[in-house]
Amino acid sequence: MTDVMIQASGLTKFFGTARALDNINFEVSRGEVVGFLGPNGAGKSTTMRILTCFLAPTSGTARVHGTDVFEDPLGVRRKIGYLPQRAPLYTDMNVWEYLEFVAQIRGVDPTTFRTRLKKVVEVCGLAQVLGKDIGALSHGYRQRVGLGQALIHDPPILILDEPTADLDPNEKAEVIRYIREIGKDRTILLSTHNLGEVEQACARAIIVSKGRVVADGGLDDIRGKTGAVRYFLAVAAGNDGPKGAEVRAALDGVPGATRVRELDAEDGELKLEVSGASDSDLRAELFRCAVQKGWTLLELRRDAQSLDAVFRDLTRGDEKLDRGDSWQDDAGDDADGTSNEAKS
Amino acid sequence: MSAMVTIARREFRSYFDSPLAYVVICLSFLGLGMMFFLFRGGFWQVDRASVQGLFEYAPLGLSMLVVPVVTMRLLAEEKRTGTLEMLITLPVKDSDVILGKYLGALGLVLTLVGATLVYPVAMFRFPWNLGPLDWGPVTTGYLGLTLFAAASVAIGLVVTALTESQAIAFFITFFTLLFLWFVGDVAAFLGGNLGVVLQYLSFHTRLEGFSRGLVDTRDIVYFVSVTLLALTVAFRALERRKWT
Repeated sequence: MTDVMIQASGLTKFFGTARALDNINFEVSRGEVVGFLGPNGAGKSTTMRILTCFLAPTSGTARVHGTDVFEDPLGVRRKIGYLPQRAPLYTDMNVWEYLEFVAQIRGVDPTTFRTRLKKVVEVCGLAQVLGKDIGALSHGYRQRVGLGQALIHDPPILILDEPTADLDPNEKAEVIRYIREIGKDRTILLSTHNLGEVEQACARAIIVSKGRVVADGGLDDIRGKTGAVRYFLAVAAGNDGPKGAEVRAALDGVPGATRVRELDAEDGELKLEVSGASDSDLRAELFRCAVQKGWTLLELRRDAQSLDAVFRDLTRGDEKLDRGDSWQDDAGDDADGTSNEAKS
Repeated sequence: MSAMVTIARREFRSYFDSPLAYVVICLSFLGLGMMFFLFRGGFWQVDRASVQGLFEYAPLGLSMLVVPVVTMRLLAEEKRTGTLEMLITLPVKDSDVILGKYLGALGLVLTLVGATLVYPVAMFRFPWNLGPLDWGPVTTGYLGLTLFAAASVAIGLVVTALTESQAIAFFITFFTLLFLWFVGDVAAFLGGNLGVVLQYLSFHTRLEGFSRGLVDTRDIVYFVSVTLLALTVAFRALERRKWT
């Protein structure tokens, strides 16, 4: 018995000539709930599909609880409960039938199935819909049924691919609550691009970008990874107010400011983001700068590095691929914000 | 093994959860009945105690309607909706998935074939007795139909394994089976070596013997080989997802 439950070593995957994964390495130990983060197309699903032996890596290998995905795919799958993206279930079956079907394929005997079903129904809140056709269920319930089928054989490891995508905020909170509940005695690898959820549910995150692992560690470690603190400023603009370029130049001149970005803003307002070293506090400097220039300061806020910001820093360049996803709604990379305007 | 049976059972039952199975069963029986009794005077015109017409029309109905409809969704639809990923990541072998789906579909087709037994039984045993039926050719005819169904469903499975669209799966299976049926008649026109080869391939020529009470080992071997070949190809097609 080993305490390393999931081990990916040197995973590389090509789809044709396109490189989807580029030497992915990570380990997940017993009892960890790990958030697997990355923009769409970064390789999250591909990695998970390799771990569940749905795909084979072009090179490298992975072990699940000591079992190699090449040597014993069935053994690997037996240890895993997997929920693919968008919870693809047989819509023509009802919830009970579906769970029973999965249990039968997994070789769970009928008596064990009864007790497991009871537990799963309780944990995933399925009591109300047990007799309903899956096709008639809301997305949130389908996601729960998906979780239920992943749990029916009481696996030590769960791999969940975007379990909260397409859910409304209440459903998201519910599913996260279930995951935390489940995660008490299991190892979970959970992919998402909602960083708030990671902060709620996971102690550790792995961030992938363009097929590479760009950060791996406890949430605090990752937050400190870029070693920067951000400041958000809003300055009144208007006809006689300062221009964007002018403000940027002035803020650049503030001692300690390492980077200045202009964010999307409404008319009559300029919003800026200034980065500074994590062990300093530039608020006073920034305020003085504004006073000196005669700007009307509408807002000034210091953000200890949020996961969100780190994520953006680390996956920069992927953003363009991922229009419309929540984390980059306020991530105007271009100084003049034109691309963001075009998007909305 | 048991996973395969579970998949086959689910597949078989799911046909009856959609109206499709019922529509196909009704249409094919209606069609078969009309062909058998009415087309060119049908059974009454022949005026013999024989159900040979059954073995002439049933395979046509199977290739043109039943098999394409029954097999089109087997894998294509599951690939499109993603349920295939869910199924394959359960601890099942790819071969279990292929065989399970195959047996589920074949089960439905054979149920349908079995249901046509009502023709000889109702006409020559109970409640009517229209004459002394020679049951030998009937038995071999059904053997032929079974082999034919096995090969056709396997071909449909290959097609559905190669596409994500039910409609495309339907049409390709439809035309493939139609081709295999009529190629024998075309071959008769062509003559020569090509004609002989095509004659060998034709499902029609292969079935003719069975309906006359003639069981030729070569015909059995042919249908069984086609079935095995198609199942292997379908298995490879499913496995291909891993590497590309």
